[in-house]
Amino acid sequence: MVVLVMTIGLMMQRLFQGPTVFDRMNGLGVITADTILLIVLFGFLDKQPGMYVDLAMAYAMMGCLGSVVLAKYLGGKKL
Amino acid sequence: MIFGFSIQEIIACLLMGAGLIFLIGSMVGMLRLPDYYSRVHASGNSETLGTLLVFLGLIVYNGYSNVSAKIFIVALFVFLGNPIGSHILAKAAYRTGHPVWTQKQAVQHELSTEPTSSVTTAEEKEAQAHADLHN
Repeated sequence: MVVLVMTIGLMMQRLFQGPTVFDRMNGLGVITADTILLIVLFGFLDKQPGMYVDLAMAYAMMGCLGSVVLAKYLGGKKL
Repeated sequence: MIFGFSIQEIIACLLMGAGLIFLIGSMVGMLRLPDYYSRVHASGNSETLGTLLVFLGLIVYNGYSNVSAKIFIVALFVFLGNPIGSHILAKAAYRTGHPVWTQKQAVQHELSTEPTSSVTTAEEKEAQAHADLHN
């Protein structure tokens, strides 16, 4: 948990002062993956993992689609 | 039972520890590497492996149940989405002409950040001495 929160904080730094747009997008993807892990681990700490795993599943689908669509928007037509 | 923990818990703890080591490696690579492409390499590979190892540890810890199947589906989504996102971002950066970091640039960067000020000051001192002699 501590490692994941530290990772998310440092990726926030990469997200806000990244040199290019692509660095910001990459940091956003890493934050998405870490947040999915954090939701599932919090569910196991809360002794009812079923509900939190459903939330993490929805967030995983949204993160996957959002990253691909934004990369297509940034990269131009022929991608 | 070893030290009060079952074998299942020990295997789960080892898998999650290995996953966290990979996550820390990915974070250090993202913050320290010099180029966008090397950064996307660090995040794309070790982030996916660390996430999958932590999910596998959670599956082993939870046992054979309904929640384990859901965690497996989440891990499948991460395994599909994260490398595809990294690949398509790197491809978009290459298509739009993002500069690639090479060894030449590294040598030039090191030469430019070396203490060149002392050399210039020595040359300036010599030039000033010559000027004084000629005057």
